[in-house]
Amino acid sequence: MTKKIVINPVTRISGFMEIEAIIENNKIMDAKTEGLLYRGFEKMLMGRNPFDAVYFTQRICGICSTAHSMASTIALEDAMKFIPTEQGRYLRDIIHGCEFLQNHLRHFYQYTIPDFVRLPNNYPLYTTEHDDFRMPSKINDLIVSHYFESLEMSRSAHEMLAVLGGKAPHNHGVFIGGISTQATTDKIIKIKSILHTISEFIEEKMMPDVYKISEYYQDYFQNGCGYNNLLSYGCFNDYKDLGTLYIDPSINLDGKVLPFKSERISEEIEHSWYSGEQKSYKPLERLPEEDMNKPKAYSWIKAPRYENVPFETGPLARQWLSGAYRNGISTMDRTIARVLEARKIVQVMEILIKNLIPNISVQSEYKVPQKAQGAGLIDTTRGALGHWIKIGDQKISFYQIITPSAWNLSTQSCENMKGTAEQALIGTVIQDSDNPVELGRIIRSFDPCISCATHVYSDRKPVKIMKVVP
Amino acid sequence: MDGLLSVCHGYEAKQRIVRNLIDKVMDEINEGTLLKKNLIWLELTGCSGNIISLLNGANPDFKYLMTKMANLVYSNSLMTAEGEDAVSHLVNVMNTDFILAVEGAVATKNNGLYNVIGKWRGEPLTALKAVKMLGEKAQHVMAIGACATHGGVSAAHPNPAKCVSVQSVLKRKVIKLPGCPCHPDWFMGTLAEILLYDAPKLDAKDRPVLFYSTLIHDRCPRRSFFDKGIFAKKLGDHTCMFKLGCRGPVTRTDCPVRQWNKYVNWPVEDDTPCIGCAQFGFPDLMEPFISYDTTRKERE
Repeated sequence: MTKKIVINPVTRISGFMEIEAIIENNKIMDAKTEGLLYRGFEKMLMGRNPFDAVYFTQRICGICSTAHSMASTIALEDAMKFIPTEQGRYLRDIIHGCEFLQNHLRHFYQYTIPDFVRLPNNYPLYTTEHDDFRMPSKINDLIVSHYFESLEMSRSAHEMLAVLGGKAPHNHGVFIGGISTQATTDKIIKIKSILHTISEFIEEKMMPDVYKISEYYQDYFQNGCGYNNLLSYGCFNDYKDLGTLYIDPSINLDGKVLPFKSERISEEIEHSWYSGEQKSYKPLERLPEEDMNKPKAYSWIKAPRYENVPFETGPLARQWLSGAYRNGISTMDRTIARVLEARKIVQVMEILIKNLIPNISVQSEYKVPQKAQGAGLIDTTRGALGHWIKIGDQKISFYQIITPSAWNLSTQSCENMKGTAEQALIGTVIQDSDNPVELGRIIRSFDPCISCATHVYSDRKPVKIMKVVP
Repeated sequence: MDGLLSVCHGYEAKQRIVRNLIDKVMDEINEGTLLKKNLIWLELTGCSGNIISLLNGANPDFKYLMTKMANLVYSNSLMTAEGEDAVSHLVNVMNTDFILAVEGAVATKNNGLYNVIGKWRGEPLTALKAVKMLGEKAQHVMAIGACATHGGVSAAHPNPAKCVSVQSVLKRKVIKLPGCPCHPDWFMGTLAEILLYDAPKLDAKDRPVLFYSTLIHDRCPRRSFFDKGIFAKKLGDHTCMFKLGCRGPVTRTDCPVRQWNKYVNWPVEDDTPCIGCAQFGFPDLMEPFISYDTTRKERE
């Protein structure tokens, strides 16, 4: 028997998406992931002051805004042929680290936990139709208490960010050269104190919680696997004195870890609502125009590819590539890797803070070049993020953004290779097709940010039939 | 009310004011003189950053909001239910007393079809349809953040998605809390005023006077540098940011005295100009955000 299942909205993500799955004999035979929010940042950026991209592009995403301030700043520095000081890099990487912690804490507790832990259902926010909660009430209730405690922790992560970044979301600190302000001793000790509290929470609560969940949901080590192709642009790496504290740009293809070459990135549009002279584009080439009339197309998310192959990006990819965690590639491994990464980020931040020289000013008066182009590639909370900029007549003349969620939630490619998350869904056994809880759990393990993935311009979305078809 | 207002303007009272309002609400709920109202938090065409900002609120925090102040029935970012089960929460609340908080603009292009926030009985529920359906029935509608109050970044030129404000599609009073994002206290305090007094005191542009009455410039700790003509030449300088394009002189919020993220900092204290994110017209009318020569040309 064939059934079509549609889930919309997929809640507990940033933004709006739909999952469509075809199920035969309780097994997912085909799957599509679609983003449902379109604004058009790349078109909005045309003609604006290049420096403004740092604050403007943060508005792509409310949960990972710092990521965009990092990528846009690095792209501008590349265009300006400006090399930041090591102190400048430490400072902005500390801000970036705060954003990692805020994201991972919120994603694990506020977005993932409700899938596996029964939250007090006397509150309408926590009611649900499915009943696949497997933990004994004592363990369940302990994790519920951590769910509420985590609110204080993620809030503190953003407080720590604001100490150097002014405010969050949408910080003012990250800028060309490093950050705007100086890290005075009082600020440094405040950050250290907050980081210490968050570190204790991760060690004593978050880590035990994820391992406890994994014990009761062992089957989630068997689903959500995908291609095993992993990619990272690198982050917290290549410091002159400190070397690489986390991960250098690298990929995993056919079981081999290889160096990353940025020129091998392309974006395909065969199954997306765009048309152009080519089916595949390099990031700095012209943006294709939207076209809803392509018969094969089914999504506004394009298909980023590396050597024409889909890749997974994010915490599990980084943990695997850096050799820190190689248990497997699955829904539960992805979730565990995110928690392990939170711990890793604390360690990285501690080293960066230790190496700060207080009161250093890293700002000067910068000039916009007449004509230039640049790329800003960096791994951020959800994975590999790229900004590409062209400047003409001291204005932005071209802007391209390829987000981590575009990698993970991409459409099918020219050779009919499914997107990474689509592939991860296919083959999954659904226990109860009236309550297909597996779909959301698998997709959330990728931590989709649809606000990011569908920032591009679009014109219209067709009405699709949504029902469970026998 | 007036007593509370004047206290708010004192620097040391910034944390207390919202807490006081909330405590009063709590007392009334506990005494049975006030019933917990249903609250819908609707994310539309935007970055979903206002819900993140709300989670950043401390005293009152999000837990206090959802367990003590209101029945939060819907939040795309936080609710356990998904798919039509989630959308049924919206449908079920339609005929009750409820408050509607909206973040994000309303995409209108192609009848709103390109921003679908869910599906109900197989039909796409667009941002446009959802805000009209709920906005007409809600007791109060609060537009949270720049996109909801006036289109914001979602409506930035050339506005590819034809985004408009919440007010543009509703023929009723919409309380406006601009900011990119909205400060959690601005929302919590306004909600407390609604619960207590039913109608918060609003200015001519429907912003609560409690938070939006005074120009940043008037309470800026760097005002004395402005008065003496000492101006920053680059980010990171500790003097007046006016010549770097600071929008403090046209933006009305209490950022200088309230500050952000557990009251720890704010953009000018971070040695950057205010970019006017809480002013109508943001971002297009507030740009350029960073510029090193706003007045130099005239001088030379």
